Amino acid sequence: MSLKRVLVANRGEIAVRIIRAAQTLGIETVQVVSDADRDSLAAEIADRTVVIGPAQSRLSYLDPKLLMHAAIQTQCDALHPGYGFLSERAELANLCSEHDVTFVGPAADTIDALGDKLRARAIASDAGVPLVPGTNSIADVEQAKLAAEEIGFPVVTKASAGGGGRGMFIARNYDDLVASFDKASAEAEEAFGDGTLYMERFVGNARHVEVQVLGDGQGQVIHFGERDCSTQRRYQKVVEEAPCAIMPADARRRLHSAAVNLLSKLNYRNAGTVEFLYDVDTNEIYFIEVNTRIQVEHPVSEQVTGADLVQLQFKVAGGEPVDFNQDHVHINRHAIECRINAEDASNNFMPSPGRITTWRPPRGAGIRIDSHCRDGYLVPPFYDSMIGKLIVTANDRDAAVERMSAALDEFEINGITTNLPILRHIVKHPDFKANAISTRWLEQHVLADFQQ
Amino acid sequence: MTSPDEKDIESLVELFNQSDWDEMHLKTDTLEIFLSNDPHASGPAQSTATALSSTVGESAAQPIGSSAAAESPAEPGSPAVTEVAEGLLAVRAPNLGTFYRAPKPGAPAYVEVGQLVEADTEVCLIEVMKLFTPVRAGNAGTVREICIADGQMVEFGQLLVTIEPQT
Repeated sequence: MSLKRVLVANRGEIAVRIIRAAQTLGIETVQVVSDADRDSLAAEIADRTVVIGPAQSRLSYLDPKLLMHAAIQTQCDALHPGYGFLSERAELANLCSEHDVTFVGPAADTIDALGDKLRARAIASDAGVPLVPGTNSIADVEQAKLAAEEIGFPVVTKASAGGGGRGMFIARNYDDLVASFDKASAEAEEAFGDGTLYMERFVGNARHVEVQVLGDGQGQVIHFGERDCSTQRRYQKVVEEAPCAIMPADARRRLHSAAVNLLSKLNYRNAGTVEFLYDVDTNEIYFIEVNTRIQVEHPVSEQVTGADLVQLQFKVAGGEPVDFNQDHVHINRHAIECRINAEDASNNFMPSPGRITTWRPPRGAGIRIDSHCRDGYLVPPFYDSMIGKLIVTANDRDAAVERMSAALDEFEINGITTNLPILRHIVKHPDFKANAISTRWLEQHVLADFQQ
Repeated sequence: MTSPDEKDIESLVELFNQSDWDEMHLKTDTLEIFLSNDPHASGPAQSTATALSSTVGESAAQPIGSSAAAESPAEPGSPAVTEVAEGLLAVRAPNLGTFYRAPKPGAPAYVEVGQLVEADTEVCLIEVMKLFTPVRAGNAGTVREICIADGQMVEFGQLLVTIEPQT
């Protein structure tokens, strides 16, 4: 391993995950923390911890210059951005290369090209990847009406500058479109500083499927199969699994080769995820976007392939070629992940930070916990509400659902309110067991009843 | 127009922070200020940040490999927040950065032990990636200790200077 010392520029469970991967590879770790994370697990297990700023992300984890200064001063030769925060900001990747620090991610211009959703669509189109019928940027509601006529209702507006559901409105007719267009643009402007919208046909009975890919920047691009992340609330993933069990073999082949072709065009380096919609009724796949970082749900792919994706990120960042090929990647099990959040599902998913008095995760064969929590841990109110991930693995989907159900029942967290009750409800639901869900299923068929 | 003093500049920055403006550019005979919320802003050729960095220049570059601290990993757990002695007030680092006692190499230090200071007296500089931010005493009194050696990295909340308040 050519990398010697890495700055871990993130917090929570992914910081712990990164530190453990680095330690396995013999890379020293420097953890940056905000004032609120001084006593975190990551701070404890890293070789060194530096406190960079106050609790607010803007003054700590979101300040690229502070991170860079810390990396230089502690003589790190690499920086791992994790997910969220600055992980997909070309500015940080650029700063790293200016100071001879290896950014554990793609080249800055790759981040730029794929981060702009319209440019990403153009790249996908050039690579022969199928796209949902859609538009380029749309100036105003009049142009939107004309475009909607061409691609056909229902349509969905999207922000050019980013994802996460901001700027997304579904319109089933002209009235809907007129009512929501300016609102969508304003929301995009507020979230990303850019109100540019484009439009796509809205696929009703859709699954969210995504392909885990790894490129070494030296010509090799390998995939680790797909994940099905259709259980979503407000475009946020709640439950993820691998593989997508309902997908026929022919669609799966098209999916994997589309993802690999797309990233091969860019000579991609790093772990990455190519996201698609899968139209169950027509068996068609449509490109959505590429995420150029490690993702929250990466463990399900690790569980079914045996790969360690974070270690692989370090290896390719350090200039090592991928020393295996696609034939070595086998998928023959099924894994499911539930995101454990400090939030109250019975009260509109209000965040519920506070002190965890009891943290008793389930144990046993086929159970993996990725978390930074423990008895007495204070969940700070400043950050994302995710406090851990429960991942189960079994021989097939039915067995995995069974195992997840039992594991969730066994999981005991006291002191704060968590989403464990709604997760238990989801995995015991007949539709979920039958795998008869779509991206709208959770909101339309589960939450309405659950919140009564 | 008379030349603005430090208080005027502070007030301007404060106003700018509270405003919904994206940029502000002010130029007088002796001074030029460019404020922007856009980290990519190229701004006028002489932004405050570059102007400041040119005055301090080479001292900012820490020789890689010279810091003993990085070679010996810290104790497990979080860096402790040092307490100050009874009757003394602490001046702490507002963020991680490099501590400088003087505005530029070779210049006299901002303050020495035993010196009387006002609340707005500058006592040191904290540098982050060539951006130099002065740290003020915060209270009127006498400087009792300067806790950090010139050019050392400090972390958020680290004790920099102690002040004995005026009675």
